[in-house]
Amino acid sequence: MSTMVRRLILLGLGFLAGAAVWPVAELTLFFQARFPTYLLFLALLGAVTGALMGGFLGLAEGITSRVKARIPSGLAWGALAGCLGGAVGLLAGQAALWLIAGLALRSYRSFQTVVLPVSRAIGWAVLGIFVGCGEGLRAGSPRKAGVGMLGGLLGGLAGGFVLEYTRLLFPSLAFPRLAGFVILGLAIGAFYGLIERGLAHGVLRVLAGALKGKEFLLNQNRMRIGSSRRNEIALAAYEGLAERQAQLRVRRGEVYLINLEPKLPVLVNERKIQEHKLKYGDVIRIGPARLFYKYE
Amino acid sequence: MVNRAFVLLLMLGLAGSASAVNVSLAQIDASRLLLTQKVDLYVSVTDEEGRPVRGLDRGAFRISESVDGRRFSEARRLEGFKPQAGAEEGITFVLLIDNSGSMYDALDGRPTQEPSRMRITQAKEAVRSFLRSMTSPRDRVGLAAYNTFYQPLSRPGQDRERIAGLLEDIQRPQPDQAYTELYASLTLGAREFAGAEGRKAVVVLSDGENYPYARYAGKPHPVFKSKIYQYTEPIRLCQEEGITVYPINYGREKDRRLQNIALETGGQVFDARDREELAGVYRRIHEQVAGEYRLTYRATMEPAERKYVRVEVQSPGGRASAARFYFASTVFGLPLAALGWWLLAPLLAACLLAWLATRLRLESRKGPARLQVLQTRIGYASTRAIPLGSSKTVIGGSPKADLTIAGAPSVRGEHATVLYDPKSRSYTIVAGGDLLVNNQPVKTRKLEPGDVIDVGGATIVFDDGEV
Repeated sequence: MSTMVRRLILLGLGFLAGAAVWPVAELTLFFQARFPTYLLFLALLGAVTGALMGGFLGLAEGITSRVKARIPSGLAWGALAGCLGGAVGLLAGQAALWLIAGLALRSYRSFQTVVLPVSRAIGWAVLGIFVGCGEGLRAGSPRKAGVGMLGGLLGGLAGGFVLEYTRLLFPSLAFPRLAGFVILGLAIGAFYGLIERGLAHGVLRVLAGALKGKEFLLNQNRMRIGSSRRNEIALAAYEGLAERQAQLRVRRGEVYLINLEPKLPVLVNERKIQEHKLKYGDVIRIGPARLFYKYE
Repeated sequence: MVNRAFVLLLMLGLAGSASAVNVSLAQIDASRLLLTQKVDLYVSVTDEEGRPVRGLDRGAFRISESVDGRRFSEARRLEGFKPQAGAEEGITFVLLIDNSGSMYDALDGRPTQEPSRMRITQAKEAVRSFLRSMTSPRDRVGLAAYNTFYQPLSRPGQDRERIAGLLEDIQRPQPDQAYTELYASLTLGAREFAGAEGRKAVVVLSDGENYPYARYAGKPHPVFKSKIYQYTEPIRLCQEEGITVYPINYGREKDRRLQNIALETGGQVFDARDREELAGVYRRIHEQVAGEYRLTYRATMEPAERKYVRVEVQSPGGRASAARFYFASTVFGLPLAALGWWLLAPLLAACLLAWLATRLRLESRKGPARLQVLQTRIGYASTRAIPLGSSKTVIGGSPKADLTIAGAPSVRGEHATVLYDPKSRSYTIVAGGDLLVNNQPVKTRKLEPGDVIDVGGATIVFDDGEV
């Protein structure tokens, strides 16, 4: 599983998320007049939208890590973060929309082309920020959450703009909102993948054995390596290494590999190490597993 | 009892006098809508002379909402009511000065060569005294002049000295600028309030009727083309934006519609012959703002890009109504016209595909032993992966090599050779040049799965094919 495949999976899940969100959002929108207040209406609309987006994108980690246990937990955390974030995000976006539109409306009536798309895109972006942090919450990693939020922000902004201008340019489009949700999902998936890669401290590629070809992004400040599935770098199919054999720490932009089980050796470039500052091209051997540290 | 007395009073009022009240929706404050579902309206009620009508109670007001501006809902319940609510708001003015040829005549309509007798001189003097009379530091003022053309001089700002100075920029028009685009200029003047908050007022100094170029010159206007502005246009714009128009008449010829415009926007017409009255314009406007009623109601939930609010007032002086809209669009926009079961298709399809994705087996499969090129720092490899043959595999710069690393000067023709030993079923690499395996220099070495071979900057992995 190279990082490219991971990006494609994120993109695909984003697409599916958009398609899944659409009917639910339409259903909620249809009953707007039945809600007692805008607050409740928008909170619910944001919650269902965010929960679906977050849930779908939350599957990515489980699928790409090949740790099946991460599928339900990723789904749950993604949906939870998305649900809360979607509600908060949509309300914040709505506040921004009304604030900006209200200011512009005071003076100008022809604001369809600028104010409306811009303020709506801000709304989408706020939604994206929260949807993006689900995986970080699941992994308990502030860094990952931050990366996801940045990805979600850019994705939401891009998706929102594309949606609004598609709507303006092609007013006869049958379901502009379907296109919009799909673009939003795709954009969040794409930017999530890009930012995740862009801010990672390199990649560990597995060279032999069951996980051969899989690449782990070093996207957290602390990542553990071992046979247990709870490790960020879970080498579950390998024997001869401890449940928690080693860990990677990022200090001032440098990545250090530390052996946690001195009885079982960890080798870098054929030499036993206790703590080692990694450089690109290093070959790591942990038990029967071989890992190659590379930039990309 | 009180109610009955009020109704009686109302009937007397309606029957007993022809006097009218006028209502204008000075401001809609929907900033609390999201959190509390409430909207505040600042409503100004004036009599036919433009004086604020005080002492109305909440029963005199009726508020309804509409999504299209035509069909209005039932009356909304008043959640709050406060008379005299607009006390210390800043006011933004746009002063609009008639600069047609007749403004250079005397007040009685006769031509004059003496500047001090010209209407324009007196109008400028009136503007200066208006500027001097402005007392609130929150007030802002802008300036524009008009004849055949609309001439913006300054957007609303706080520097009154500057505005007074700009009056000198108003020059006597050329003969071809003899038309009076009053309605067009009022419409454009009302647009000068970009970004202004609080109360907005246009004070227009005029000495004659609307005299549009496109109608009387027999050809399209250089700017407005063949469009002829009607007096309803500034009215509609000002009502929607909450702008009040105060016309000041110079000379004998008046534009009759200015009375309508003033009344419909909650303003009042002044006569310039009475200088005392003119000096009181500013005070009047302030009074009117201070006398506004604040009405609070719960907004409806009907989906709409903009919601129209209508306020109807029943007072002893008569009844009147005014409507304005506020922005009610949501982030996701308006709902579909109808729902259908087909709507579920994308949701079900997406769930199915996502479920299939979780069933994906992404583990690598068993295959033949091979060499895989991970990356090349210099040059490029002829192929990304080659299977290892039964005897020997050559890696090198030569085109005849099994795996060619081209464009890398440090790579020899036959840089390294991988040999297969059928007895032990193992592969051994033999160096023909500088060779690194797992970043350690080697001459000969039995390869283990996952060994990383470096040939002059090309990184190659030995893959035994097992999983």
